[in-house]
Amino acid sequence: MTRFIFHVDLDAFFVAVEQLHNPSLRGKPVIVGGQPGSRGVVSAASYEAREYGVRSAMPLIQAQRLCPQAVFLPVHYSRYAQASKQFMMLLETLSARLEPLGLDEAFLDVSSVVTGTGEAAALAQALKRRVSDELGLCCSVGVATCKTVAKVASDFDKPDGLTVVPPGEEASFLAPLEIRKLPGAGRKTAECLGDLGVHTIGQLASLREGVVRNKLGRYGDLLLQHARGIDTSEVEPRGEPRSVSRETTFQIDSRDITTLYSVLRAMSEEVAQDLRTHRKRAGTVTLKLRYQDFQTVTRQTTLKKHSADANEFFLAARDLLQRLLSVDERLVRLIGIRTSRLCGPEHQLGMFSSDAARLQNLERVITEIHDRYGPDSIRPLSDRKRSRDSSPRKT
Amino acid sequence: MRVSCLQENLSRGLGAVGRSVAVRSTLPVAQNILIVAEESRLKLVATNLEMATTCWVGAKVEEEGSITVPARLVTEFVNSLPNELVNIEMPAGGRTVQFTCGRFQARMNGIDADDFPPVPEIADGIGAEVEADGLREAISRVTMAAATDESRPVLTGINVEFEGERLTLAAADGFRLAVYKMPLAKAIEGKTTVIVPARTLNEVHRLLGEQEEPVYITVNEQRSQALFRLSNAEIVTQLVQGTFPNYSQVIPKSYDTRAVADVSEFTRVARMGSVFARDASNIVRLLVTPGGEMKPGKITVTAQAEEIGDNTGDLDALVDGKEAKIAFNVKYLLDVLGVVKQSQVALEVTTPSSPGVIRPIGTDNYVHVIMPMFVQW
Repeated sequence: MTRFIFHVDLDAFFVAVEQLHNPSLRGKPVIVGGQPGSRGVVSAASYEAREYGVRSAMPLIQAQRLCPQAVFLPVHYSRYAQASKQFMMLLETLSARLEPLGLDEAFLDVSSVVTGTGEAAALAQALKRRVSDELGLCCSVGVATCKTVAKVASDFDKPDGLTVVPPGEEASFLAPLEIRKLPGAGRKTAECLGDLGVHTIGQLASLREGVVRNKLGRYGDLLLQHARGIDTSEVEPRGEPRSVSRETTFQIDSRDITTLYSVLRAMSEEVAQDLRTHRKRAGTVTLKLRYQDFQTVTRQTTLKKHSADANEFFLAARDLLQRLLSVDERLVRLIGIRTSRLCGPEHQLGMFSSDAARLQNLERVITEIHDRYGPDSIRPLSDRKRSRDSSPRKT
Repeated sequence: MRVSCLQENLSRGLGAVGRSVAVRSTLPVAQNILIVAEESRLKLVATNLEMATTCWVGAKVEEEGSITVPARLVTEFVNSLPNELVNIEMPAGGRTVQFTCGRFQARMNGIDADDFPPVPEIADGIGAEVEADGLREAISRVTMAAATDESRPVLTGINVEFEGERLTLAAADGFRLAVYKMPLAKAIEGKTTVIVPARTLNEVHRLLGEQEEPVYITVNEQRSQALFRLSNAEIVTQLVQGTFPNYSQVIPKSYDTRAVADVSEFTRVARMGSVFARDASNIVRLLVTPGGEMKPGKITVTAQAEEIGDNTGDLDALVDGKEAKIAFNVKYLLDVLGVVKQSQVALEVTTPSSPGVIRPIGTDNYVHVIMPMFVQW
């Protein structure tokens, strides 16, 4: 049976969400990532800013040089998470076979709902309209018989594109495109293949297996298949999370205990929120530190009982932090917290009302409030002063 | 000191006091057993400072005296001797004890008896007398519900309440509660409540053995120590200080569903569930279904372990009330089913998040409450 797979990619997602919050930003070069004075990087740039050469992951300072008139905005992670959730929920109404890739893109297997290319194209068109009408966002959709080709297709005519690759035309669609367009072919791979005189996907597709394998190892086999438009991998609905974490890089390397604690506390809170959203509890807390010289260390501790309580995570991480700081003089560049060994929400109820029972109640109520009013609706007071442009990124 | 006794008796005596020896103590002498040769018997004492056990062994005393010797050393040596007469000798003022038995001999370096922690005398205070049978049963039905972690010390003890003609033992670890009531052999005046370490009561239970004579319990005036006098041994214990939670309010006053089932069937089905529950936080789900016109009611027990599998089993039950469900830690369920002597129990349930109650049928002296597990149904 012919498969029909969508790759749906929201255009300039972070920027688009910011523009929804502040419509006056529409049509302007907008850069999300923080103030240009700080040493962060560009998280996202509007298409207007991209015309000046601004790209994701570029240092903010360089972005400012390229596009001085741009509006620089801090990262409002929770806004994007909220919009992403709505986006994924909308996609799920089309098919349950949904595989999210990050916040702003997803594969969707619609084989069971459409019978031919024409129907698939119509469904994709309808989807684009719904994303625009219901979410106020713009997306590009690639339609093909496999994931690789669908992903290349969604990127083919960005923004606001719809590219349909009919069955049988996969290889010819890919052939003229440059090798870097093929998912999985990064700079290094492209350089390697360049040595063989390969610059387009078509040129790769025409090589013999042995040649590619000699150059790229077993990974080459897979890449060659993809270049020929063959990709049998399934759209896999996201499994249960195995860990939940946050980390953040400081604007200025620090050993200031107040700063470290407040960041740790805020991240603990976000991790706990995530766990509660997934109806999970964690048994292990890991602290990650990267020192000024880029050496990274992790330390972990096992909780007495599985928990989804921010304070418990904070206390565990704080103890680990204290132990690390007491034996090390270096400044801290990055701090992160990870919770793992997750289990379901099942737990033993207590007999005598105690702090634990009250905390569980609190947890439950907070989750309900978040479900109803969004993750920003209720936060700990200690989180109040936190500068949101050093917002931890999800890892 | 010069004394002789049968190996069998000495070995039994050492075994009786052995569990009271301090295991990890900063006080070396507490790892020893005190041996006292006094008027025609040998007194053996061990203490871990929480509990002290004294036991007497019939002996022929030629010269009185006392010494302490390392518990493990003397116990292992005596246990390996043939069942013959053991002679114990120590020159007055000496520290080295000589054991002779047939062709075997040993010399042990001891610590002076004066260094041994004194066992508190408990003569005055509140005295009570209980039947050995009843006490055995009471202890075996409540101690498993006591807490083993020390985070709330009062919960590691058994709440023992003497009132009028009744003795009530209660244990709770915060997740389950066991309450057993029994008559006192002689009524006492007023009401006295103390918390006895579960370890002590387990030891009383062990030393009771087959004893038929009643047990005498004395609590000192300060309610800080208690004495259990058995026919062949005495245990003096520190009492846990603090207030035991008011457990009576935890026992539900009513139920929505009550299922009466056969204990051995219930145990079998629960044990089967425990195989799968092992990989699922020990959770078993119980569904109680009322019977219809021609079919009996039943209790269905299921366990499901993610990525491993699941199992289901059921048993007939006489169900009163509507359908009900509740999830338990299967260990708690098996613990209580394992100590009930009656052939049937009643399971009483209200909601999936309120306590479940188990009562043996045919007696109202025992009630066991288990807090459910929170699960998604």
